[in-house]
Amino acid sequence: MITTLFLVGLAFFLIASILALTSLPQPSLWWRRLSLVLIFSGLVAISSAAIMVLAGDLQHHATLYTIADGLSISLLIDRLAAFFIIVICIVAACATIYSFDYIEHYGDPRRRHWLISMMALFILSMIMVVASANFFCLLFFWEIMSLSSFFLVILEREQPESRKAGVYYLVMTQFSTLFILLGGLTLYHFSGTFDITATALTAGALTLTSLSFFVGFGTKAGLMPFHKWLPYAHAASPSNVSALMSGVMLKVAIYGLVRVMLDVLSPPLWWSGLLLGFGTISAVLGVIYALKEHDLKKLLSFHSIENIGIIVIGLGLYGIFNHYGLDTLATLSLAGALFHTLNHAIFKSLLFMTAGSVVNATGTRNIEEMGGLIKRMPTTAIIFLIGAIAISALPPLNGFASEILLFQAYLGALELPNSFMAVLLFISLATFALMSALAAACFVKAFGIVFLALPRSPAAAIAKEVSFGMRLAPAILAGFCVILGIGSYQLLRAIGLELPVPNLLPVSLIVAIVVGIAILLVRRLGAPVRYTDTWNCGLGKQTGRMEYSATGFSEPIITIFSPIFRTRKVSQSEFADLDKTIIRSGHAEIKTLQFFEERIYLPLARLALRIGGLVSRWHNTDMDNFVLYAFVAIVVLILAAGWLL
Amino acid sequence: MTLTQAIYLILNPLFILAVSPFFLGLTMKVKALAQGRKGLPLWQPYYHLAKLLRKEIVYSTHSSFIMRLAPYLNIGFLLAAATMVPVLFLPPAETVGGNIILFLYLIVSARFFMALAGLDAGSVFGGMGSSREMSLSAIIEPVTIITCAALTFVLKTTDIPTMFATVLGGSLLEYPALILVAMSLFITLIVETSRVPVDNPETHLELAMIHEAMVLEQSGPKLALMELSYGVKQTILMALLINTVFPWGLADHISAIGLVIGALSFILKAAALSVVIAIFESGMAKIRLFRLPNFFAIALFFAFITILFELLL
Repeated sequence: MITTLFLVGLAFFLIASILALTSLPQPSLWWRRLSLVLIFSGLVAISSAAIMVLAGDLQHHATLYTIADGLSISLLIDRLAAFFIIVICIVAACATIYSFDYIEHYGDPRRRHWLISMMALFILSMIMVVASANFFCLLFFWEIMSLSSFFLVILEREQPESRKAGVYYLVMTQFSTLFILLGGLTLYHFSGTFDITATALTAGALTLTSLSFFVGFGTKAGLMPFHKWLPYAHAASPSNVSALMSGVMLKVAIYGLVRVMLDVLSPPLWWSGLLLGFGTISAVLGVIYALKEHDLKKLLSFHSIENIGIIVIGLGLYGIFNHYGLDTLATLSLAGALFHTLNHAIFKSLLFMTAGSVVNATGTRNIEEMGGLIKRMPTTAIIFLIGAIAISALPPLNGFASEILLFQAYLGALELPNSFMAVLLFISLATFALMSALAAACFVKAFGIVFLALPRSPAAAIAKEVSFGMRLAPAILAGFCVILGIGSYQLLRAIGLELPVPNLLPVSLIVAIVVGIAILLVRRLGAPVRYTDTWNCGLGKQTGRMEYSATGFSEPIITIFSPIFRTRKVSQSEFADLDKTIIRSGHAEIKTLQFFEERIYLPLARLALRIGGLVSRWHNTDMDNFVLYAFVAIVVLILAAGWLL
Repeated sequence: MTLTQAIYLILNPLFILAVSPFFLGLTMKVKALAQGRKGLPLWQPYYHLAKLLRKEIVYSTHSSFIMRLAPYLNIGFLLAAATMVPVLFLPPAETVGGNIILFLYLIVSARFFMALAGLDAGSVFGGMGSSREMSLSAIIEPVTIITCAALTFVLKTTDIPTMFATVLGGSLLEYPALILVAMSLFITLIVETSRVPVDNPETHLELAMIHEAMVLEQSGPKLALMELSYGVKQTILMALLINTVFPWGLADHISAIGLVIGALSFILKAAALSVVIAIFESGMAKIRLFRLPNFFAIALFFAFITILFELLL
């Protein structure tokens, strides 16, 4: 039954993909709609299969196709996989609803078909990665996932920005595949099986395998310093795809880490420390970089790095507590990590969808050219606000509900027998607190500059609210944000986790009651209301140019953290008089160093190019040299053979 | 819900709401005396609120519902936080809970909406206030959390009423580390309530303001709500500091006599703390905005020392 449902779902995706592709020469609205409906039905089928597994606490095993002995496409759906499948299904279903109207904004109708076709494959491959029973199957679908999303990233390939994003994405995604392959192969070498099952490895082998899995999955999850592809790819791709990539593709990589950690290896303590360290760095640097970003979609993608950091911190804490046998705290951390995975998937895809609506309505991604949209796009604004509150981890929404689990886990650090570890945890906690407060600052900026006050450009002044479908999809997700937040305590109890978390329901009730009473009392006062212009010190009419800008908003934080940004302020001014008192014209900018790009990525790329140049010089040579190469190669081979045999 | 719980849930926030303007007035009075002025009457904040409640509401034509809603949400979040800090008597267990992290984040929620309202009217002053408030609150957050972590370490619980009960049942001698925590809590209190050296609540220069700049566009009853929220925030943070270090006077169960003693003793203790704050403020000059992280580092230092202290002992 479960296999049938699952296969039916997969078949729906395949048919949708093929339909969209075959109708590409004669694009038609109805074929596109049909394909999207098929994707949606596929998601319904697969999620019901996953719910059955989750409800029945089953471990469902099925082999679909065997290529050779040990190499097979087979499924393993247990509770962990089912959980991730449901996360994928929720986000993908909303992204599909959103796509109905969203894709119609693309000028070229063929491109719309191509988008749907690749999207269907993308969703299919993500679900299959999570459902894989062995590393062979996992890698096979991992590559399909990478390639289909690559085509989605370069959808607007005439834009230089998309091409740059495509190159970064392809290189980094192959880098991650390489390391997962290495991990899988070493695992096979030492344990003799590709299966995702517990293996006992020697210390050396364990180090190699766990490190390669960490680098492989960490790159795809966007952990610093392997994150560089993420802001480019998320910004360049269509918003429904950004929602999918940030909402679920990163989670697939997290699934890899969780699976490796829980089932396959029993990673040593340093691995957990590594996760905690990298998680903390990603979380805090992600949000610090997000603060200086004025491209709405890039800002959101830096927040993805931050939230992946939070999830990885949870996994690291799990490893550490587990190592010392503190089971309650370990459960708390793991629950926090998984709950945050679900929550981040929900609010981040919500934010990307509403960001897509805003970008469509204003025609720009630069938040300095938006403003005043709360009056022109009220529903989108409210939905975005809910997402912003959730991601800033403010009670009572879901972002807070999962971060409090991690806070509680951190506070258990005193129970650790090792003082060094406890101090490490406290430094991490301080950074975690900084990160969470900076996230709130960043979303005050994002919401305030995009939606509030006066429009900052003519395009923003004539923006129109988007169509119903593009509001419905994020609105569903906003509903999830509220339910998973306020009802978090009850939900965790319902699935049998007795964790020491506060109950958010009474607090929300108290807030609601006080707000209600306050509104009634102010009404009763019957104060007269007057509307007038904002006081601007008598400068005449208020315009969008007089408002506080996004650059201005984040300036104090950029100044405080200038050692991280390596900020340079450059200003030039021309004076009208010799005493330099009257400025005629001037120019000023704040430059920040792209540390990872300028100090790590580009030097590595230049090194590779230089080596490539050297090798190519050897290639472009005359016949004699080639004979020499052949000769040297044979000598080396003979020597090597003699030494080996 | 039992009757005691209901009484607690109504009395505790209402008492805090009623007394908080008094502490604002007291601090102002002491500061004025320190400056050699006669100062405003002690009850001035109450007159001020009464005046504001009678005035008209002026909205900017550029503003949206955020501005209209923010004062209500502010008082809502802060009074919800006020239910977590017992000042009259200790509630029976499981009333609303009093998780300290939740308590802090309710305050952050209130601040989030206040900062949004600051940006709503499109005024530069509001934007400047929001930007500075969010930046400063971001860098004080590690201090606050580590201080609370130190507090949970020393008292072995994350629940605020339980913390008070623990100290009430023991003596300060059992928890010497609390003195160190109190130092950090005091600095947190100064920062969170926008006082000198971080901000100056009595300034009339918009460029130097942080908190006042954000509420510049609010008027009439809405402004009254904002000022009340500010008072409530100061009182609950003072109560957290007072009752962790010196909870004596707090009744451990409900009774008429306990309520009177609790109320009187809290007013006395909080008045003493207000005087200390006023003297601290008078002795300080406002620190330049970008020098503030150094000031916060002192608080972080104290909090970390407490934790090391606890780890080593």
